[in-house]
Amino acid sequence: MNLDALLLSFRLAAVVSATLLILALPLAYWLAFTRWRGKFLLESVVALPLVLPPTVLGFYALIALGPRGPLGRLWQFLFGHTLAFTFAGLVIASLVYSLPFAVQPLIASFESLDRRLLDASSILGASRTRTFFRIILPLSWPGVITAVVLSFAHTLGEFGVVLMVGGNLPGVTRTVSIDIYDRVQALDFAAANRMAFLLLFISFIVLAVVYGMNRRVWSPWLAK
Amino acid sequence: MVAVAREVTPPMLFVDIRKQFRATGSRPFLLDIRETFAPGFTVLFGPSGAGKSTLLDCISGLLRPDTGVIKFNNEAFFDSALHLSLSPQLRRTAYVFQSLALFPHLSVDENVAYGLSALSSPEQQERVERILPAFHIEALRRRKPGELSGGEKQRVALARSLVTQPQLLLLDEPLTGLDAALRQAILQDLRAWNAANRIPILYVTHNREEVDAIGERVVALINGRVQEWRSPCRPRCPAEYGAGAGGRVRESVARARGRAAPR
Repeated sequence: MNLDALLLSFRLAAVVSATLLILALPLAYWLAFTRWRGKFLLESVVALPLVLPPTVLGFYALIALGPRGPLGRLWQFLFGHTLAFTFAGLVIASLVYSLPFAVQPLIASFESLDRRLLDASSILGASRTRTFFRIILPLSWPGVITAVVLSFAHTLGEFGVVLMVGGNLPGVTRTVSIDIYDRVQALDFAAANRMAFLLLFISFIVLAVVYGMNRRVWSPWLAK
Repeated sequence: MVAVAREVTPPMLFVDIRKQFRATGSRPFLLDIRETFAPGFTVLFGPSGAGKSTLLDCISGLLRPDTGVIKFNNEAFFDSALHLSLSPQLRRTAYVFQSLALFPHLSVDENVAYGLSALSSPEQQERVERILPAFHIEALRRRKPGELSGGEKQRVALARSLVTQPQLLLLDEPLTGLDAALRQAILQDLRAWNAANRIPILYVTHNREEVDAIGERVVALINGRVQEWRSPCRPRCPAEYGAGAGGRVRESVARARGRAAPR
């Protein structure tokens, strides 16, 4: 078992899901509660990573993060090297790749709230921020947990994007999924099997939690 | 020394608005209102879809009228000519919805205290302690809305709205689904509160018994327009409204009923 690759994968998934939550909350709030005719365009952009082949995403990420890309040049200016083949580059590419997995459960949760609760909060004098933290968020826990768990699991399983952007550097960008691929190429099926099974097991637990949560104790609050 | 007599102007709500709206499953109406609401109860009476809830939503700031003016005393809530619309947070208006909208994850005392966040802790405490017994809900303070009966929920919703000492109270069918005895009891609490705090109260209902029970002043809303009866209501209260467009007042029936019931 390649412990380095496993720890790297977990580190990547943890950083990405935490960061994604912070980015996805305002985006999901805007998409759920704003009425704008052009909203469908933004929704399409957010959902793109769901249908785009990972190598397409990985390719564009490589260009953007490389020495000639906008992000790459900025990073180079700040830190002296490009983002391609770095952990930071993986994080940025993964944020885009897992974005819909964080945003969509949040939108579903927000939209299922009784609007009159938000109205009542405004009428009682609460600002939009206060309404968000005291009413919307506490009543959207299933959505938040689903968003974190799904983006974590999704990032854990990344392959195409990581391969393109990461460069397969051991300890830096060689995640478990890449390592499994390497082991198979090297005909070491035993090692590949161990890691593949572990990922399978973790993914299953994750999904069981998500599905189990969406029908339990939280339902009375979401009823409307 | 000359004593100067100060004239206290009673708080008045002035509404002069037009709004296109569509009740579910019917043609669009134009809500067209020009009314002044004085302190005390004004019953907004009319069939479903006549525009009563839309009117309350406009007054509270949740909906924006198409054109017109809404003023409370000399403070403009809404003025389409000036592109001015005060947010609901700033209107010091209390609004109890038909669905009550109690926060399900907060206890009764947290719900009641929700609108008091601008006050200091001791002040919040004091106001909550005063209003809970006024609406007979002190025993329920730690419970969540899911653990309350229908009547208890209504009382909590009223307490939550009134503890903020609003300058205007909007009630959208607040007593539906309650039995007559409970309705009487809650109305009594409300009336007691109103005796001590004279503010305009707009009470929406399509229930004739409630109209009779409260009836300081009745404004009837049909298809977005107003027809009014001043109190005392009898014998000229409308006996019934036809559903949908063109409901008609059967005045002869109303007169006959008025004569039949000696008061």
